[in-house]
Amino acid sequence: MNLLRLVIDNLVRNPMRTILTSLATMIMVLVVTGVFSILSFLAAATTEKAENMKGIVSERWQIPSQMPWSYAASLKEGAPYQPGDLKVAPKDSMTWSFYGGSTDSNPKNRSVNTILFAFCLEPQALLTMMDDLDTLKGPPRKDLEASVAKLEQNRIGIILGRERAKSLGKAVGDRFTVYSFNYKDINLEFEVVGLFPPGRYDLSSAIRGDYLQSSLDAWSREHNGQLHPMAGKSLNLVWLRLKDQKIFSQVSDQILTNPSFTSPSVKFETASSGVGTFLQAYRDLIWGMQWLLAPAILFTLSLVISNSISINVRERRTEFAVLKVLGFRPWQILLLVLLEALLVGVTSGLVSAGGTYLLVNNVMGGLRFPIAFFGSFYIPEAAWWWGVAIGGGTAFVGSVFPAWSARTVKVAEVFAKVA
Amino acid sequence: MNPEYVRVLHVHKWFRRGSEQVDVLNDLTLQVAEGEFVGLMGPSGSGKTTLLNLIAGLDRPTSGEVWVKDQCISAMSEGQLAGWRTRGIGFVFQFYHLLPVLSAYRNVEMPLLLLPLTAAERKERVLTALDLVGLADRVHHRPGQLSGGQQQRVGIARAIVTDPDLIVADEPTGDLDAKSAEEILALLCELKTSLNKTIVMVTHDPRAAARADRVVHLEKGQLVTEPTPISAAM
Repeated sequence: MNLLRLVIDNLVRNPMRTILTSLATMIMVLVVTGVFSILSFLAAATTEKAENMKGIVSERWQIPSQMPWSYAASLKEGAPYQPGDLKVAPKDSMTWSFYGGSTDSNPKNRSVNTILFAFCLEPQALLTMMDDLDTLKGPPRKDLEASVAKLEQNRIGIILGRERAKSLGKAVGDRFTVYSFNYKDINLEFEVVGLFPPGRYDLSSAIRGDYLQSSLDAWSREHNGQLHPMAGKSLNLVWLRLKDQKIFSQVSDQILTNPSFTSPSVKFETASSGVGTFLQAYRDLIWGMQWLLAPAILFTLSLVISNSISINVRERRTEFAVLKVLGFRPWQILLLVLLEALLVGVTSGLVSAGGTYLLVNNVMGGLRFPIAFFGSFYIPEAAWWWGVAIGGGTAFVGSVFPAWSARTVKVAEVFAKVA
Repeated sequence: MNPEYVRVLHVHKWFRRGSEQVDVLNDLTLQVAEGEFVGLMGPSGSGKTTLLNLIAGLDRPTSGEVWVKDQCISAMSEGQLAGWRTRGIGFVFQFYHLLPVLSAYRNVEMPLLLLPLTAAERKERVLTALDLVGLADRVHHRPGQLSGGQQQRVGIARAIVTDPDLIVADEPTGDLDAKSAEEILALLCELKTSLNKTIVMVTHDPRAAARADRVVHLEKGQLVTEPTPISAAM
């Protein structure tokens, strides 16, 4: 307690240096917290689950996956084709098509405020198959259920993420037309029937899959039976939820051996593996963040702290000598310097990480970093102790040598120089 | 004569400067009696401060022994010396060396933090020490708010707060004006007479040395004369 009081006095003694060291620590902890949040989210998304697994069917040889819609019905059931094959329940499956376009018909006027990408799916799947939405509880769940019910009743309905609705300038009840750029001439009219709960789906939108398919059929009718160029490619992914690894393997066998899915052939993988495959394109970026950016920041932070404390120790050599004369043992001097650094590091780290958590999650509505199909990231609760660990750890590493130097101050030499 | 409190026996101290060996103390032997006030004088480089550092356990002799009371401090480890310094010795510096961020009270309290005392016991000792040096009304002042003489008084209070029997002072009046120097010397004499402290003081000032019971002159690392202790002669 007495030592802690002395530590605080020493930190207060040179407020400018303490504040600058603290600010440097806070800024670097902020950056590292952001990087770690993205990495931990991606790590969680690519970690295999043992139970309640999700699997993705996609085209085997092409990215992006583009399969004929005719595959959908069978794949949604797990592609059973022999007696005794397993059949996946409707609530445990979901088809995905991606529809993108702009609310402005003139391609030159496209901007982030006019563009919209939508998942085309079965409305009920929003409640049972979409990550984070399937575990929603309380009033947000009720709101989403109401929106889904409206989407089921309204073929042209669309559910928008809150940020997307804001950027488009649309509210519930508004109608608008989207001019597609991946389904040429399939320009769809929508009516906003609800909003996603705040969070992960802030930039997303969802429409009915059958609306897109019927629009493709209508295009064909208007063009004398000619198929739309995307007609055979309008199924992008099929999601299945399976109880465990054993059932996953069995369904996988069904899909991969079913002769109906040979042209194009398909593959079946766990969601985490699928996400991992999708993230392959970002492999270098993620590797750089994990192994270059984060370590470089931590190293720099240690250097900053070390430099600050080294200067401090050099200036206070006489003081340490006096403390030794008064009877302070070398380890107590070492502890004094370490504690000063740790107090700055831990406090700054906690304040920075906590501030980042509150700011990003509650004020900014997530960290905008579009990567794969993740639009924004949230700071996990673990960030609170990351801040403490990063600030404290780097402070410790940065202060070990200066503290050792303070510990080994030779009293006679110091006073010989003073005299 | 009082029993010997400090015994410096055949001490050599040398250090290397490049390839050259510099002898600072050369077969020096000195005894200081309990309750005696000894002044160390000599030209610069004569080894006064080195001798003081050896007596205070801040440095070690190259050979020879330093005994304080019944302990051979030259054979102690650094940790043992630190522990011994806490209770066994009070050090008064020429430049006071008070911690600038702390009040007079907390500067004096500093050595007590190393002892198993309650806050109330520490407070009692600190206030007694500050009262003894005449600074009872400057308890909460920081060093920057005190004059040089007052700072040195705080330094002396810090030196005596653990109630050591031995006080070593390295030119305690060297940075003070004549009036303040006189007050500090009077205070040191008071500590000797009232509290029976043994005092070893390095000084260049003959007026300061005149306050000592005995003055020891060093030259080139050796004692030049060692007059008869005044207390013994009386």
